[in-house]
Amino acid sequence: MAKRILIVDDEPRYLRLLEANLRTEGYEVVTAQDGAQAVDVFSGQPIDLVLMDVMMPKLDGFGATQRIREFSNTPIIILTAKGDEQDRVRGLDLGADDYLVKPFSATELLARVRAVLRRAQPAGDVGGQSRFFTHDNLKIDFARAEVWKGEIPISLSATEYRLLLQFAHHVGKIMSSEELLTSVWGPEYRTDKEILWVSIARLRQKLEDDAHTPKHIVTRSGLGYLMPPIEE
Amino acid sequence: MDAQALSYFHELMKIAIEVGDTRQTAEKFLVTLRQQFVFDNVAVYLQDEVTGTLEIVYARAVGRAKNAEADADWGETFASQVLAHGRLLLRDPEAGASPDDRLSQAYLLGIPLRNNGLIGGALVFVRFGGPAYEQEHRMMAALAAELLSVMFERTTWKKTHKELRDLKMQMQLQEDFVSTISHELRTPLGFIKGYSTSLLRKDTSWDIETTQEFLTIIDEEADRLSLLIENVLESARLQSKTLPLRFQPLRLDAVLRDVATRLRARYKDLAINMDLQTAQSIHGDGVRIAQVFDNLFTNAIKYAPGSPITVILHQTAEKAVVQIKDHGLGIPKESLPLIFERFYRARSEKATGTGLGLFICKQIIDAHRGKIWAESTLGQGTTFFIELPTNPIN
Repeated sequence: MAKRILIVDDEPRYLRLLEANLRTEGYEVVTAQDGAQAVDVFSGQPIDLVLMDVMMPKLDGFGATQRIREFSNTPIIILTAKGDEQDRVRGLDLGADDYLVKPFSATELLARVRAVLRRAQPAGDVGGQSRFFTHDNLKIDFARAEVWKGEIPISLSATEYRLLLQFAHHVGKIMSSEELLTSVWGPEYRTDKEILWVSIARLRQKLEDDAHTPKHIVTRSGLGYLMPPIEE
Repeated sequence: MDAQALSYFHELMKIAIEVGDTRQTAEKFLVTLRQQFVFDNVAVYLQDEVTGTLEIVYARAVGRAKNAEADADWGETFASQVLAHGRLLLRDPEAGASPDDRLSQAYLLGIPLRNNGLIGGALVFVRFGGPAYEQEHRMMAALAAELLSVMFERTTWKKTHKELRDLKMQMQLQEDFVSTISHELRTPLGFIKGYSTSLLRKDTSWDIETTQEFLTIIDEEADRLSLLIENVLESARLQSKTLPLRFQPLRLDAVLRDVATRLRARYKDLAINMDLQTAQSIHGDGVRIAQVFDNLFTNAIKYAPGSPITVILHQTAEKAVVQIKDHGLGIPKESLPLIFERFYRARSEKATGTGLGLFICKQIIDAHRGKIWAESTLGQGTTFFIELPTNPIN
């Protein structure tokens, strides 16, 4: 089956260039013109590889990469006009598999695409990752960074959302305060337990039916916190 | 402490931390202070940061020496002593002063003032003919000096803060300029590189239409790159004033007709309505002025395709005003102040540009000591106004 590649760029001439070259190699091509559209298109169909421009309106390429990485391991190649090291490192740190600095030649582009696809697992074989996460009446749409409690949309701050993702990505695992503080706030906050307590209390206020007997984020005294597995 | 005393101190503190002009605040502060703390003269000295000498920054005669002008004691040398000792000092009248002449019986109280954490000035109170400063008065004066120090320090910090902010903004502008120019140059270069290497691929062959399409893109992008470079150089020259302008008598109606004729030859269906007052010549560079008109017409064609363009020229003895009006989509209100900035481009699906056209127009009109601005209503169209003085040399 032909591999399907999503190309994302706000310049129609780049879309045309990439599409024309990829089609000669037998790839299927779908396009998006900004980061938000890219995440939408991506979550609507199986995609084998994403070619992502950085400077785009609405959501930029870094933001879209980060969003996609919250629920998928599909390879992403960043196309950047900025060749400086900081940008390349940022892209790779956010989960991109490779980067290509504009201007690039058509042959190099195709070689990178082949190389990344060789290393990648086929689409659909990504270990049960999906756009949506549910935990009892709680639902997360990773692609849009939206959280629902039943039918009610819940508004979370950026930090609260990142904290919730930590639990959602590790259901059934007890996470220590240090672990949570390090991954959400950064290593320099590792011992700042009160900030975590306040955030978990706020998160419970928003997500739980009864914040005193939480179902989603449970305290294990002396050990940490966890999102317990839901028994079928 | 009673409520009245508390409200008095509250008032003093409020004034001291107020943001505003130092002199006015000092005035307000000392007038309020005098409600409970009596003095005849007051002087504030601050040390000059560079020379280290004391400068008088504020002085008021409110009591017995009101009409004594420069003859009364203002404690200039005393202030230096306060500064040198770095603590509260008192000075009683010299022995042998005439008891009838109150002005010769000056009781001085001086307290050091802080600036940036260091002792950097002195506050001096003068009472003519007493009474001497009691313990309570000295404490009151010390408190006043403390509050005044806070006020002066805040002023200094505010000034430094503004300087730093301006500097940061300047650096940001420079950084933006470099980043925009490199992005703007890389974009056409990226297309040229991408499409030419596509055509050069040995492992595939393109049909004739695709080849033609790619070559057209390469050609257009090479033109865009060359125009961009030309514009960048020209705007740099205009900004550094190294592009010489050749001023000569100029009939604006003739220039406008010329530009319109050239454009009609290029765009067959273009409708231009002209309402030109024929009047006297102005002084200007004909080539540059024509370039401005050409740019504004081309913008109208690009952003308001199919719309007729109306040109109005109105002249008085002192100035000429040209209006170039289209009936296109208009420019959003928030973008209007930005359109003359370098590299600013209202985002548009089709139109390509360098973001330098209007910036260059403004540079040229500025060099003629004229004004250029735009008015726009969304959905109705945009009007560009150019005002040129008849004789820019005057």
